[in-house]
Amino acid sequence: MNRPSVPFRVFRALTLLLICLMCVIPFYVLLVLSLNAPSRVFYEGNIFVPTFAFTNYVDAWGKSRIGTAMINSAVITFGTLGLTILLGGMAGYSIARRNTRLNRGIFGLLIACMMIPGIINTVPLYTLMRQMNAVNTLWGMVLVCATLCLPSAVFIYTTFVRSLPRELDEAAVVDGCTGFKAFWRIIFPVLKPATASFVILNGFGVWNNYAQAVFFLQSREKQNIPQALSVFFQQFGGGKWHLMSATAVIAIVPVIVIFLAFQRQFIEGLTEGAVKG
Amino acid sequence: MKKVLATVLALALCVSAYSAFAETKVSFFTGKIETVDLLNEIIDSFNAANPGIVVEQEYQKDASSIIKVKFASGEVPDVMTTYEQEFVDQGKYLDLSAENEWWDRLVPSMRDSCTDLKTGKQFRVCTNMTMAGFFYNKKIYADLGLTPATTWDAFVANLKVIKEKMPDVTPWFIFGKEAWHLGHLIEFIPHGYLKQTLGTLECKKAMLENDSAKLNFGAADGAMAVFAQNLLDLHKEGLINEDVLTATSDNCVEAFTTGKAAMFSNGMWALSGLLAANPDMADQIGFAPYPAYMPDSKPVVLCAEDSGYSISATTANMDAAKAFLSYLFTADNQKKYSEALGSPSAFTDVDANWAPAAFAAEVKSVLNSAVNIGFTNEKPAGFTGDDAGRMVQDLLAGTYDAQSFAQAYEKAWNEGF
Amino acid sequence: MQGRKPLSIQRQRGMREIDWTQYMALPALLLFATFFVYPLIRGIGMSLTDWDGMGEATFVGFANFTRFFQDARAMGDIRTTLIFAAGSAILLNLVGLLYALLMEKPFHGRSLTRVIIYLPAIISPLIMGYIWYFLLQPGRGYLYHALEQLGAPFTLGNWMKDYPTTMLVLILVNVWQYAGMTMIIYLAGLQNISADLREAAMIDGAGTWQRFTGVTIPLLMPAIRINVVTNIIGSLSVFDVIMSLTEGGPGYATESLSIYIMRMCYGSRTGYSTAVAMILFAIILLPVLISMRLTREKA
Repeated sequence: MNRPSVPFRVFRALTLLLICLMCVIPFYVLLVLSLNAPSRVFYEGNIFVPTFAFTNYVDAWGKSRIGTAMINSAVITFGTLGLTILLGGMAGYSIARRNTRLNRGIFGLLIACMMIPGIINTVPLYTLMRQMNAVNTLWGMVLVCATLCLPSAVFIYTTFVRSLPRELDEAAVVDGCTGFKAFWRIIFPVLKPATASFVILNGFGVWNNYAQAVFFLQSREKQNIPQALSVFFQQFGGGKWHLMSATAVIAIVPVIVIFLAFQRQFIEGLTEGAVKG
Repeated sequence: MKKVLATVLALALCVSAYSAFAETKVSFFTGKIETVDLLNEIIDSFNAANPGIVVEQEYQKDASSIIKVKFASGEVPDVMTTYEQEFVDQGKYLDLSAENEWWDRLVPSMRDSCTDLKTGKQFRVCTNMTMAGFFYNKKIYADLGLTPATTWDAFVANLKVIKEKMPDVTPWFIFGKEAWHLGHLIEFIPHGYLKQTLGTLECKKAMLENDSAKLNFGAADGAMAVFAQNLLDLHKEGLINEDVLTATSDNCVEAFTTGKAAMFSNGMWALSGLLAANPDMADQIGFAPYPAYMPDSKPVVLCAEDSGYSISATTANMDAAKAFLSYLFTADNQKKYSEALGSPSAFTDVDANWAPAAFAAEVKSVLNSAVNIGFTNEKPAGFTGDDAGRMVQDLLAGTYDAQSFAQAYEKAWNEGF
Repeated sequence: MQGRKPLSIQRQRGMREIDWTQYMALPALLLFATFFVYPLIRGIGMSLTDWDGMGEATFVGFANFTRFFQDARAMGDIRTTLIFAAGSAILLNLVGLLYALLMEKPFHGRSLTRVIIYLPAIISPLIMGYIWYFLLQPGRGYLYHALEQLGAPFTLGNWMKDYPTTMLVLILVNVWQYAGMTMIIYLAGLQNISADLREAAMIDGAGTWQRFTGVTIPLLMPAIRINVVTNIIGSLSVFDVIMSLTEGGPGYATESLSIYIMRMCYGSRTGYSTAVAMILFAIILLPVLISMRLTREKA
């Protein structure tokens, strides 16, 4: 493989540096805001350096119950992703490999519904969930979020499986696996790029879900991260920015840490690629 | 045989004793964030003192939207702070008119403020009053020798003096990015005029029945058009901040507490933000009414009921809910509540330090000197205060002139029914 | 490699096994039908009524739909939504692809850069807009003051004054936040293209551009399809970005259809809002169908 030319590398370095700078600025702002005392007038003095009011973090932790919220968000996200990957992966495999009328119909239905604004559902879904006693439960929220992510999952998996060579299926048949076993043992590991794509596309939507959370998570013990943040918004204007930023920082730091730690597997999984052929 | 009977009897006793201890859950739904923590404390001590009843608080930022979905799906909280005319009309609330142990301790006008005009009954109880008017910088006024104006011309003259003598200071700071704020200006100034001339009760009736003869929104010389014209004039002459459409309430607090804004309109809820930003300013904050801006009108100040509680008409736990509210309404708890919220209590036996003494005194004198008006609950369901505020944004952006604004307002009001 | 073995191999073995594979999409269907389709059907019924969310619902036929097309505010919303989506979807794909191409070959710090570019998507949209407004507020934003203090007074001007500049800023913020996601999908797609194929093309003497259009793009089709469809749907249903930056204002200038639907729904015009939601669905359907056809895989 020939190395890219020097001008290209310079261009790349400069562009990426600029982009990274832009991406980091809001986090920097968040950090500075979180360390400011409420009485600090923003633009006096050096605006790059906050007043280091670390007590904000203590206050924010207590008032927002962000600890519980983070656990809730984590449970909901992992539950949703797990469920959707399983069901979506199975469905994608089936639709891509068995072009029956049923499967074509299912695919069409899911894609069509992906385009439907969620608000149509709100009242009837809420009624349904109440009848199932699923309101204000984490598992209820998981079911709702999984339903919302399902079309995207099926879409991604179907597309990726279609691009897999048929030899894989044949290999599975030779090994004596059909159906689910074939899927799980042979196909699924190869679908890592698809799984990673799906998790990346939808994971944070579930983690930061607010639109569904306001209906299905009611008590403070069950509320998720955006709801914990919302306690610092005031009804009439503004909000306690210093506490809100502190809460946001507390919520983001573990996510970034996990992301950094796992991004080897995560994104390398993307680059492992499928069968070379 | 006797042994069997005895055992059965004992078991039966146990079972009935157990069911007597079965928990009653009371759900309390609120959109008021400022007092969530205090309410939780009060709830905890109530739960502890009342084994068998468990009150749970649910706070949601967008409470007034979420309650609609709750109603629509048939799940209604037992106690709630959300109150709208359309819900009253649908019979969603329990009639509280007979709860005299509460009413007797409240100021007499409170019962009137809480009365639903259509039925003459009370479906909510409010524990506090909140006021809205102009917060002004006493030091700037003193330095320039100004006094709060009672007529619009004097008001504009004040603004001009400030602009001339202190060019760095915004005379009147309006944070127009937030539609609710502009909606409040409509509420207090043009609607305030209507409430003042028609009288509170008559005005409420006129609005409920959409009596356009009385309301007269579209008239070229009516309250709306004059208000719009005044606002446009102020904008043109630079007497309000140039960036009115992009300024936020945070900007306003910052400007005011650093002496860069001479006055702004807001309610008592803004006080704690001001004091948090600049505690030293406590004795420099003044309070003034909205000046009279139409011929033959008087200055007005908003004095509205705040912190209202309603009980669902379909609740299964009426007694428990009322017990909880009675506990909440004790003088001790209300004193704490009033001080946490920063607005005076409506209970006659509660004496709270809800604001710095000088400020509270000035508020009181304004309440006595200006006409007291309340919030309009009788708005059309499809045309909210925020919608009105957005129309004002359009006005300031140049989409309307004063006449077309008045007409558009009337149209929107009518369509909202 | 062994030759293709048709499914009939199962019968040749003498074992009539059920081919479970064809039914494996059913669990997904079950979940979806229960929690989406069933409420949806009940919801659609609402669009033909004038339900206000609480009381009686009276049947009004298609009145909601005709009223929509006569509402000037609604027409303006369609324009805003379309402009936003066009700008956003196109830019997101271009920028995402550009990032992916830049990040393709390994270099020092590539992993970290990937993470950083993706980071903006992690922040809850609830506060993202406030942060942006805090940075960009005309005259008072952090960026304005920061550049002043750095000695480079920089007049970004009042971008909220005109419709075009406001829309531009909205689109750019959206692109900035979600380009990382698009990039990741493209990276996945690029890595899947075997290096051998590209070497082969180079040996054939094809230039960089020809290689790109002739080999890379066609093989990238799955990734392009996913990105284009997802971005179209996401941009046409935009809510958070606009709500938190301009709240659809000033007035209703930058209101998107999703915001309009929400306001109608909670403004006691629930039946009407359902009808508008269905119209939005139709608006989304058309471009999605077109792009799915255009990105169809050649066999």
